[in-house]
Amino acid sequence: MTASLSIKHMNYHKNRQAILTDVNLTLATGKIVALLGANGAGKTSLMRVIAGLAKNYRGEVAVAGKTELAQRKKVLAFNENLQGFSKSEKLANILSFYVAVYPDFDEERFNQLQEFMDLDLNQRLGQLSRGIKAKLVIALTFSRQVPLYLLDEPFSGIDVMSRKKIINSILLWKGEEATILLSDHFVDEIAQVLDEVVIIKERTILCHVPADQIRERGETVSTYYEAQYEEDM
Amino acid sequence: MEFKDNIPIYLQIEQYLYRQIVQGQLPAGTKIPSVRRLAVDLTVNVNTVQRALQQMNANGILITKRGEGNFVTEDEVLLAKTKQHLLDMELQRFTEQMRQLGVKRNHLVEILTHYLEEHIDDR
Repeated sequence: MTASLSIKHMNYHKNRQAILTDVNLTLATGKIVALLGANGAGKTSLMRVIAGLAKNYRGEVAVAGKTELAQRKKVLAFNENLQGFSKSEKLANILSFYVAVYPDFDEERFNQLQEFMDLDLNQRLGQLSRGIKAKLVIALTFSRQVPLYLLDEPFSGIDVMSRKKIINSILLWKGEEATILLSDHFVDEIAQVLDEVVIIKERTILCHVPADQIRERGETVSTYYEAQYEEDM
Repeated sequence: MEFKDNIPIYLQIEQYLYRQIVQGQLPAGTKIPSVRRLAVDLTVNVNTVQRALQQMNANGILITKRGEGNFVTEDEVLLAKTKQHLLDMELQRFTEQMRQLGVKRNHLVEILTHYLEEHIDDR
Protein backbone atom coordinates (compact mmCIF):
# COMPACT_ATOMS: atom_id res chain seq x y z
CA MET A 1 0.00 0.00 0.00
CA THR A 2 1.28 3.47 -0.84
CA ALA A 3 2.23 5.51 2.21
CA SER A 4 0.20 8.66 2.87
CA LEU A 5 3.42 10.57 3.21
CA SER A 6 6.99 9.72 2.34
CA ILE A 7 9.88 12.16 2.78
CA LYS A 8 13.41 11.15 1.90
CA HIS A 9 16.56 13.12 2.60
CA MET A 10 14.78 16.43 2.45
CA ASN A 11 16.71 19.65 3.08
CA TYR A 12 15.20 23.10 3.12
CA HIS A 13 17.11 26.38 3.17
CA LYS A 14 15.77 29.89 3.24
CA ASN A 15 17.93 33.00 2.86
CA ARG A 16 20.98 30.73 3.04
CA GLN A 17 19.89 29.50 6.43
CA ALA A 18 19.21 25.82 7.07
CA ILE A 19 15.58 25.44 8.15
CA LEU A 20 15.27 21.67 7.85
CA THR A 21 18.10 19.19 7.43
CA ASP A 22 17.96 15.59 6.24
CA VAL A 23 14.32 14.95 7.09
CA ASN A 24 13.13 11.38 6.61
CA LEU A 25 9.56 10.43 7.46
CA THR A 26 7.04 7.86 6.32
CA LEU A 27 3.42 7.85 7.47
CA ALA A 28 1.14 4.89 6.79
CA THR A 29 -2.50 5.32 5.77
CA GLY A 30 -5.25 5.87 8.34
CA LYS A 31 -3.15 7.31 11.15
CA ILE A 32 -3.51 10.30 13.43
CA VAL A 33 -0.01 11.60 14.03
CA ALA A 34 1.21 14.50 16.14
CA LEU A 35 4.16 16.59 15.00
CA LEU A 36 5.63 17.95 18.20
CA GLY A 37 8.41 20.43 18.71
CA ALA A 38 9.33 23.69 20.37
CA ASN A 39 8.61 26.97 18.63
CA GLY A 40 11.19 27.45 15.91
CA ALA A 41 12.08 23.75 15.65
CA GLY A 42 10.67 23.64 12.12
CA LYS A 43 7.10 22.31 12.47
CA THR A 44 5.43 24.92 10.31
CA SER A 45 8.25 24.83 7.74
CA LEU A 46 7.88 21.07 7.44
CA MET A 47 4.11 21.45 6.98
CA ARG A 48 4.68 24.10 4.33
CA VAL A 49 7.18 21.95 2.44
CA ILE A 50 4.78 18.97 2.45
CA ALA A 51 1.90 21.23 1.36
CA GLY A 52 3.96 22.61 -1.50
CA LEU A 53 3.93 26.17 -0.18
CA ALA A 54 7.67 26.21 0.50
CA LYS A 55 9.23 25.15 -2.75
CA ASN A 56 12.98 25.43 -2.62
CA TYR A 57 13.80 22.17 -0.93
CA ARG A 58 15.99 19.28 -2.00
CA GLY A 59 15.13 15.63 -1.60
CA GLU A 60 11.92 13.74 -2.19
CA VAL A 61 8.45 14.49 -0.82
CA ALA A 62 5.59 12.19 -1.87
CA VAL A 63 1.97 12.41 -0.75
CA ALA A 64 -0.02 9.27 -1.59
CA GLY A 65 2.71 8.51 -4.12
CA LYS A 66 2.53 11.92 -5.83
CA THR A 67 5.75 13.92 -5.90
CA GLU A 68 4.99 16.55 -8.50
CA LEU A 69 3.77 19.77 -6.88
CA ALA A 70 0.45 20.27 -8.67
CA GLN A 71 -0.43 16.58 -8.27
CA ARG A 72 0.49 16.65 -4.62
CA LYS A 73 -1.72 19.62 -3.82
CA LYS A 74 -4.69 17.65 -5.10
CA VAL A 75 -4.20 14.85 -2.59
CA LEU A 76 -3.69 16.90 0.57
CA ALA A 77 -5.59 19.48 2.56
CA PHE A 78 -3.76 22.07 4.64
CA ASN A 79 -5.61 24.06 7.29
CA GLU A 80 -5.13 27.55 5.96
CA ASN A 81 -5.57 30.52 8.24
CA LEU A 82 -7.92 32.27 5.79
CA GLN A 83 -5.53 35.22 5.57
CA GLY A 84 -6.38 35.69 1.91
CA PHE A 85 -9.93 36.71 2.77
CA SER A 86 -11.02 40.16 3.89
CA LYS A 87 -12.50 40.54 7.35
CA SER A 88 -15.80 41.68 5.87
CA GLU A 89 -16.13 38.49 3.79
CA LYS A 90 -19.25 36.46 4.54
CA LEU A 91 -18.65 32.83 5.43
CA ALA A 92 -21.04 31.82 2.63
CA ASN A 93 -18.68 33.47 0.11
CA ILE A 94 -15.67 31.70 1.57
CA LEU A 95 -17.58 28.44 1.16
CA SER A 96 -18.34 29.26 -2.50
CA PHE A 97 -14.65 29.92 -3.04
CA TYR A 98 -13.72 26.52 -1.63
CA VAL A 99 -16.38 24.78 -3.71
CA ALA A 100 -15.06 26.48 -6.86
CA VAL A 101 -11.38 25.85 -6.19
CA TYR A 102 -11.40 22.26 -4.92
CA PRO A 103 -13.08 19.65 -7.10
CA ASP A 104 -13.04 17.21 -4.16
CA PHE A 105 -14.93 19.62 -1.89
CA ASP A 106 -18.02 17.79 -0.63
CA GLU A 107 -20.81 20.25 0.14
CA GLU A 108 -22.99 17.61 1.77
CA ARG A 109 -20.17 16.88 4.16
CA PHE A 110 -19.65 20.58 4.79
CA ASN A 111 -23.33 20.93 5.71
CA GLN A 112 -22.98 18.17 8.27
CA LEU A 113 -19.82 19.72 9.69
CA GLN A 114 -21.38 23.17 9.72
CA GLU A 115 -24.34 21.85 11.67
CA PHE A 116 -22.11 19.91 14.07
CA MET A 117 -19.94 22.98 14.65
CA ASP A 118 -22.92 25.33 14.83
CA LEU A 119 -21.54 27.74 12.24
CA ASP A 120 -23.64 30.63 10.92
CA LEU A 121 -22.80 31.30 7.26
CA ASN A 122 -24.32 34.80 7.40
CA GLN A 123 -21.56 35.93 9.71
CA ARG A 124 -18.51 37.77 8.45
CA LEU A 125 -14.98 36.50 8.95
CA GLY A 126 -14.02 39.46 11.16
CA GLN A 127 -16.87 38.74 13.59
CA LEU A 128 -15.65 35.28 14.51
CA SER A 129 -13.97 34.43 17.82
CA ARG A 130 -10.78 32.38 17.62
CA GLY A 131 -12.65 29.23 18.60
CA ILE A 132 -15.32 29.66 15.94
CA LYS A 133 -12.73 30.53 13.31
CA ALA A 134 -10.80 27.38 14.21
CA LYS A 135 -14.01 25.36 13.79
CA LEU A 136 -14.67 26.96 10.40
CA VAL A 137 -11.17 26.10 9.23
CA ILE A 138 -11.63 22.47 10.33
CA ALA A 139 -15.03 22.27 8.61
CA LEU A 140 -13.55 23.60 5.36
CA THR A 141 -10.50 21.34 5.60
CA PHE A 142 -12.43 18.13 6.30
CA SER A 143 -14.99 18.82 3.59
CA ARG A 144 -12.25 17.92 1.17
CA GLN A 145 -11.70 14.22 0.74
CA VAL A 146 -7.99 13.58 0.46
CA PRO A 147 -5.47 11.00 1.67
CA LEU A 148 -3.53 13.50 3.81
CA TYR A 149 -4.67 16.31 6.08
CA LEU A 150 -2.11 18.73 7.48
CA LEU A 151 -3.31 20.64 10.52
CA ASP A 152 -0.83 23.25 11.69
CA GLU A 153 -1.58 24.06 15.33
CA PRO A 154 -5.33 23.59 14.98
CA PHE A 155 -5.93 24.18 18.69
CA SER A 156 -3.83 27.24 19.34
CA GLY A 157 -5.60 29.79 21.51
CA ILE A 158 -8.99 28.12 21.65
CA ASP A 159 -11.15 27.06 24.58
CA VAL A 160 -11.67 23.51 25.85
CA MET A 161 -15.17 23.11 24.41
CA SER A 162 -14.14 24.17 20.91
CA ARG A 163 -11.18 21.83 21.14
CA LYS A 164 -13.40 18.89 22.09
CA LYS A 165 -15.74 19.70 19.26
CA ILE A 166 -12.85 19.78 16.80
CA ILE A 167 -11.36 16.53 18.06
CA ASN A 168 -14.76 14.83 17.81
CA SER A 169 -15.30 16.09 14.30
CA ILE A 170 -11.91 14.68 13.31
CA LEU A 171 -12.89 11.31 14.78
CA LEU A 172 -16.28 11.41 13.04
CA TRP A 173 -15.30 12.66 9.60
CA LYS A 174 -11.83 11.31 9.02
CA GLY A 175 -11.97 8.69 6.27
CA GLU A 176 -10.60 5.27 7.24
CA GLU A 177 -7.63 5.54 4.91
CA ALA A 178 -6.93 9.22 5.54
CA THR A 179 -3.92 10.22 7.59
CA ILE A 180 -3.76 13.36 9.71
CA LEU A 181 -0.54 15.08 10.64
CA LEU A 182 -1.19 17.75 13.23
CA SER A 183 1.32 19.98 14.90
CA ASP A 184 1.27 21.35 18.40
CA HIS A 185 3.82 22.44 20.95
CA PHE A 186 2.16 20.56 23.74
CA VAL A 187 0.45 17.23 23.65
CA ASP A 188 -1.71 16.66 26.73
CA GLU A 189 -4.94 17.73 25.11
CA ILE A 190 -4.68 15.39 22.14
CA ALA A 191 -2.56 12.53 23.49
CA GLN A 192 -5.37 10.00 23.75
CA VAL A 193 -6.41 10.24 20.11
CA LEU A 194 -2.93 9.78 18.66
CA ASP A 195 -1.60 6.73 16.86
CA GLU A 196 1.92 8.05 16.57
CA VAL A 197 4.16 10.87 17.67
CA VAL A 198 6.84 12.57 15.59
CA ILE A 199 9.23 14.82 17.47
CA ILE A 200 11.13 17.50 15.62
CA LYS A 201 14.13 19.15 17.16
CA GLU A 202 16.92 21.28 15.80
CA ARG A 203 15.63 21.25 12.23
CA THR A 204 15.27 17.51 11.86
CA ILE A 205 13.19 14.56 13.01
CA LEU A 206 14.43 13.20 16.28
CA CYS A 207 12.02 10.28 16.63
CA HIS A 208 8.81 8.72 15.33
CA VAL A 209 7.06 6.30 17.72
CA PRO A 210 3.61 4.74 18.29
CA ALA A 211 1.89 6.49 21.22
CA ASP A 212 0.88 3.22 22.91
CA GLN A 213 4.47 1.99 22.67
CA ILE A 214 5.48 4.93 24.88
CA ARG A 215 2.70 4.03 27.32
CA GLU A 216 3.69 0.36 27.34
CA ARG A 217 6.89 1.49 29.01
CA GLY A 218 4.81 3.27 31.66
CA GLU A 219 5.68 6.72 30.34
CA THR A 220 3.23 9.40 29.27
CA VAL A 221 3.46 10.93 25.82
CA SER A 222 4.05 14.35 27.34
CA THR A 223 6.88 13.27 29.68
CA TYR A 224 8.44 11.38 26.79
CA TYR A 225 8.25 14.49 24.63
CA GLU A 226 9.64 16.72 27.37
CA ALA A 227 12.52 14.29 27.97
CA GLN A 228 13.61 14.73 24.35
CA TYR A 229 14.04 18.43 25.02
CA GLU A 230 15.24 18.19 28.60
CA GLU A 231 18.98 18.15 28.00
CA ASP A 232 18.72 21.73 26.73
CA MET A 233 17.20 23.07 29.91
CA MET B 1 -14.09 8.77 30.11
CA GLU B 2 -10.80 9.86 31.63
CA PHE B 3 -7.77 7.93 30.46
CA LYS B 4 -4.47 7.56 32.25
CA ASP B 5 -1.74 8.67 29.91
CA ASN B 6 0.87 6.18 31.12
CA ILE B 7 -1.12 3.03 30.31
CA PRO B 8 -1.79 1.99 26.69
CA ILE B 9 -5.18 3.37 25.67
CA TYR B 10 -6.23 0.09 24.04
CA LEU B 11 -5.83 -1.68 27.40
CA GLN B 12 -7.94 0.97 29.10
CA ILE B 13 -10.66 0.61 26.46
CA GLU B 14 -10.65 -3.16 27.07
CA GLN B 15 -10.98 -2.60 30.81
CA TYR B 16 -13.81 -0.14 30.24
CA LEU B 17 -15.73 -2.63 28.10
CA TYR B 18 -15.08 -5.52 30.51
CA ARG B 19 -16.61 -3.39 33.23
CA GLN B 20 -19.62 -2.51 31.11
CA ILE B 21 -20.14 -6.22 30.46
CA VAL B 22 -19.76 -7.32 34.08
CA GLN B 23 -21.85 -4.45 35.46
CA GLY B 24 -24.66 -5.29 33.04
CA GLN B 25 -24.65 -2.20 30.81
CA LEU B 26 -23.63 -4.58 28.02
CA PRO B 27 -25.28 -7.88 28.97
CA ALA B 28 -24.52 -11.28 27.39
CA GLY B 29 -25.55 -11.47 23.77
CA THR B 30 -25.94 -7.73 23.17
CA LYS B 31 -24.42 -5.88 20.28
CA ILE B 32 -21.77 -3.41 21.32
CA PRO B 33 -21.66 0.07 19.74
CA SER B 34 -19.83 0.49 16.43
CA VAL B 35 -16.11 1.20 16.39
CA ARG B 36 -16.65 4.79 15.33
CA ARG B 37 -19.38 5.35 17.94
CA LEU B 38 -17.05 4.05 20.67
CA ALA B 39 -14.20 6.19 19.35
CA VAL B 40 -16.32 9.33 19.53
CA ASP B 41 -17.95 8.47 22.88
CA LEU B 42 -14.57 7.79 24.48
CA THR B 43 -12.71 10.44 22.43
CA VAL B 44 -10.10 8.02 21.19
CA ASN B 45 -8.76 6.94 17.86
CA VAL B 46 -10.68 4.42 15.72
CA ASN B 47 -7.50 2.34 15.32
CA THR B 48 -7.10 2.14 19.09
CA VAL B 49 -10.69 0.95 19.53
CA GLN B 50 -10.11 -1.64 16.82
CA ARG B 51 -7.03 -2.92 18.58
CA ALA B 52 -8.97 -3.30 21.85
CA LEU B 53 -11.84 -5.11 20.10
CA GLN B 54 -9.46 -7.44 18.27
CA GLN B 55 -7.95 -8.40 21.58
CA MET B 56 -11.40 -9.04 23.06
CA ASN B 57 -12.36 -11.08 20.03
CA ALA B 58 -9.21 -13.15 20.47
CA ASN B 59 -10.19 -13.71 24.12
CA GLY B 60 -13.63 -14.84 23.02
CA ILE B 61 -15.48 -12.29 25.14
CA LEU B 62 -16.67 -10.59 21.97
CA ILE B 63 -17.93 -12.40 18.91
CA THR B 64 -17.91 -10.81 15.47
CA LYS B 65 -20.88 -11.58 13.26
CA ARG B 66 -20.07 -10.70 9.68
CA GLY B 67 -21.74 -7.50 8.56
CA GLU B 68 -23.53 -7.14 11.89
CA GLY B 69 -20.87 -6.05 14.33
CA ASN B 70 -19.54 -7.28 17.65
CA PHE B 71 -21.62 -9.08 20.26
CA VAL B 72 -20.96 -9.95 23.88
CA THR B 73 -20.47 -13.69 24.32
CA GLU B 74 -23.20 -15.78 25.91
CA ASP B 75 -20.65 -18.25 27.25
CA GLU B 76 -21.36 -18.13 30.98
CA VAL B 77 -18.09 -19.72 31.98
CA LEU B 78 -16.18 -17.05 30.11
CA LEU B 79 -18.35 -14.26 31.58
CA ALA B 80 -17.77 -15.61 35.09
CA LYS B 81 -14.04 -15.72 34.40
CA THR B 82 -14.13 -12.12 33.23
CA LYS B 83 -15.91 -11.05 36.38
CA GLN B 84 -13.41 -12.94 38.50
CA HIS B 85 -10.59 -11.21 36.65
CA LEU B 86 -12.02 -7.76 37.45
CA LEU B 87 -12.53 -8.75 41.09
CA ASP B 88 -8.96 -10.02 41.28
CA MET B 89 -7.69 -6.72 39.94
CA GLU B 90 -9.61 -4.74 42.55
CA LEU B 91 -8.44 -7.07 45.31
CA GLN B 92 -4.87 -6.84 44.14
CA ARG B 93 -5.11 -3.06 44.26
CA PHE B 94 -6.67 -3.18 47.73
CA THR B 95 -4.07 -5.63 49.05
CA GLU B 96 -1.24 -3.52 47.69
CA GLN B 97 -2.66 -0.32 49.23
CA MET B 98 -3.01 -2.04 52.59
CA ARG B 99 0.52 -3.41 52.34
CA GLN B 100 1.78 0.13 51.77
CA LEU B 101 -0.11 1.18 54.89
CA GLY B 102 1.70 -1.51 56.86
CA VAL B 103 -1.08 -4.11 57.11
CA LYS B 104 0.21 -7.67 56.91
CA ARG B 105 -1.59 -10.19 54.70
CA ASN B 106 -2.70 -12.35 57.63
CA HIS B 107 -4.43 -9.34 59.22
CA LEU B 108 -6.43 -8.35 56.15
CA VAL B 109 -9.45 -10.58 56.80
CA GLU B 110 -9.64 -9.49 60.41
CA ILE B 111 -9.45 -5.80 59.49
CA LEU B 112 -12.00 -6.11 56.74
CA THR B 113 -14.42 -8.08 58.92
CA HIS B 114 -14.12 -5.47 61.61
CA TYR B 115 -14.71 -2.66 59.13
CA LEU B 116 -17.80 -4.36 57.69
CA GLU B 117 -19.26 -4.85 61.18
CA GLU B 118 -18.71 -1.18 62.01
CA HIS B 119 -20.28 -0.07 58.75
CA ILE B 120 -23.14 -2.50 58.67
CA ASP B 121 -25.61 0.16 57.55
CA ASP B 122 -23.55 1.39 54.59
CA ARG B 123 -24.81 0.53 51.19
